Parts: sequence; C-alpha cells; structure tokens
Amino acid sequence: MIKICTVFFEGKYSPDYISKFYDSLKRNTTVPFEFVCLSDTDVKADLVLPYNKHSNIKLHWHKLKFFSPQFAYQKPGDEIIVMDIDQVITNNIDDLINYPVKDNEFISYHTWWPRNIKVNGGFYKFKSGDFDYIWNDFSLNPEYWQTHYYENGDVHYKYYGEQNYVDWKLFEKNITITKVPGEWLGKYTDNRKDMIEMNKLYSKLFNTDYMILDNVNEKIKIVHLNGATNNKIWNIQ
Amino acid sequence: MRIICCKFGNKFTDWHVDNLKHMIDNYSGLKYDSFEVIEDNPYNNWFNKLQMYDRFRDGENLYFDLDVVIFNKLPKLTRKYFTLLDDTWWREPAHTPLNSSIVSWTGDVSYVWNTFKLYEDEMLKKYTRGSDEFYFEEIDYYDTYEPVCPSIKDYLYENPKDYSICTLGQMHHLMEKGWSGWYSDYFIQR
Repeated sequence: MIKICTVFFEGKYSPDYISKFYDSLKRNTTVPFEFVCLSDTDVKADLVLPYNKHSNIKLHWHKLKFFSPQFAYQKPGDEIIVMDIDQVITNNIDDLINYPVKDNEFISYHTWWPRNIKVNGGFYKFKSGDFDYIWNDFSLNPEYWQTHYYENGDVHYKYYGEQNYVDWKLFEKNITITKVPGEWLGKYTDNRKDMIEMNKLYSKLFNTDYMILDNVNEKIKIVHLNGATNNKIWNIQ
Repeated sequence: MRIICCKFGNKFTDWHVDNLKHMIDNYSGLKYDSFEVIEDNPYNNWFNKLQMYDRFRDGENLYFDLDVVIFNKLPKLTRKYFTLLDDTWWREPAHTPLNSSIVSWTGDVSYVWNTFKLYEDEMLKKYTRGSDEFYFEEIDYYDTYEPVCPSIKDYLYENPKDYSICTLGQMHHLMEKGWSGWYSDYFIQR
C-alpha cells in the first residue's frame, strides 16, 4: 500500500486546499493510494488523524510522525510518501508516486535551484519504518529541535527547520538521498524577479522552455509553491 | 488503599483518566478502595500534583501519572514511607534523578505539601522544570523504588518482559489516535 501523508493546520491555507490537493492527486495518477491527513479540522481524506493543538509538537514538525511505523496504521512493506500541501499537480504523476524505492532508501525532489540542504520537504518517499529514528530521536527532545535551526540562523521563522532536521539525521546516518528527475518539479513564488531567474535557470538546466509562463512547462509534473497563495496557478489543479 | 491521579490543563482529558482506571482494573491486579482524581488547577502546572499530600493524610496511597501503560500484574507498589521512582538506572540523572510518575506513602506526608506551600512563590520561580526537581532539592526524607518502571522509549517495538508498567514520558503522543503498537492493546479504544 502506498500512503500519501500530509499535515494541515488552519492558518495560511483553508481546508479546501486539502480537497483540491486530494482531488488533484486522484485525477493525475492511476496508482492506488491512501491519502492520510493529520489535521486540526475536518478535511477531505481517506484517513484524517487529529492534529493535537495542546501537544508540544509545533506546525510542520508533525510531519515527522509519519517516519514512525507505528503512526497512521502503517504496515510492514508500506511505501510512505510525505508531501507538503502547497503544491499544484500539473501533469500525470504516476512515475512520481510509483518511483521505485528500495529498503533504507530515501527519495526526495531534486531541488535544482540553489539551496543549502539536500532534502526537499515537499516530497519524501521511503519504506515504512526505515527511518524511524527521525521521529524517535526528535520526540525525545522536540523543544530543542523545533527552535534549533531558528536560533542557529538557518531559518528565518521560529519553529521552521523540519527539513533541516531531516537533512541532518540522514547525514548523521550516512544515508544517500535519491532524487527524482529535477525537470518534474516547478517552483512558484509571488516574487516576479525570482520567477524570472527561476525560469531562466530551469530552461538552462533542462535544455527546455521556461518553467512557467502562460502555461506550465509540459515536463513539469508538480509545482511547489513557496508561500504563494493567491495566484492563478492554483486554478490549474 | 487509595489510588490517585491528577488531571488538569489541556494535555490530559477524561479519556486518560478512564484509560488509567481501565488498565488498573484489567491488568494490574491491584485491589483498591477508592480511585481519586485531583482536578483542581491552582498552579496550571505540575505543582498541582502536590495537592495530594495535603488532601490524603491517612491510609495507603498509590499515585500514577496518566501517561503510563500498565500491561501486566504490578509488583507491590504501596509503601509505608514516602517513595517515588529513581530513573537513573535507565537515564542520566540530569537536573533530578527522581520521577514522580509513581508515588506511594502511608499515613500523613503533608510535610511535602507544607514545604512547598510555605515558600510557594520561591518554589514556583525556582523549579521551572518540574516538581521532580523540587522533591530532589527540597525534600529530605524519601525512599525510591527498585527498578519497576522503565521508559517506553527503550521498548517501542516490544514490551519489556521483566516489567509490567512503562512511563511514556516524552512519548505521551503514543496515546493519541493514529498510533498503534504493543501498548495500544492495553489502552481503551479511541
């Protein structure tokens, strides 16, 4: 069983983003999966698990729970995909969802733009339980880790840094990260200048048209929105 | 014998109280006269637990935190003298070696409450990391249990064969809906 796992909490996005994301996943893949959402409100998903607001776990750090084979009714051999919800699916994603994963292999997006960490929290794929230490170690001291990367200056907002922590744990255990083809991933921001640079870079790296102009490049399967919420790209989904 | 637990704030709910009672009634082998729940919340933190030493000044008393899993017949845990857990057999002492997830006493140990109450403001400022540090620094007379209650962090995938209770500690999320392991079999269904 493939489980696609997400986290939703009220704030930046409204519950209908989950509905759009879920419908879009269903529409753009023929691969059977179970859609799991850890959420603080009722959302459209195959399995909704409660986001405990009174817990000492903050914001996106709840995503790490999916690394535990004891969470979300995982079974041995399940393939776990953890995704951010701020993504727009623009093409068939069978190859992404079905991307082959071996024991102890960690798969993530190929982040083709400049970045100082290797993993991309938009997409993790692994076999159930293979990286249980990511959650187990974190859960012993969440207060430390949840502010560590902010206090260290690695991230600009308090309680950010979940990707940095995953990156660190994989480095610590000497895990090689497998990347899916970079041209599958688009990036969208509300900053026009950044978008121009991203378009040029994408075109150069993958020897193709720009990433997103009037339309999304046909090589792209999914567009990760970095904080962008009010733009026409949502309508593609 | 009196069994005591505390429920206050948002972290624990009626489910946790019912769950503790369920585990005691079904797995612990304990026979008790009353099951007491302290819900008064004057301090909005762990110091609320100290109210039990003021409230229960007679007979045998046995206190449990709500975030434990009881999965087998418990050894005799009631004690004559004020007794709590010493965790240093499974962890570094840190700021305190003590753990009040299980506490027992017989008769009147209101000196624990009085020690706190007499210098309440100072204690609240001084011990911001929990009442277990208060016990260690301020209470002169206490006993500790032999190893009876390991942390579940060392037994996530298989229950400890030599014990019948585990503290969840930082892993109290295991009681939330969505978590399943050997421990779930002993909890009330969510």
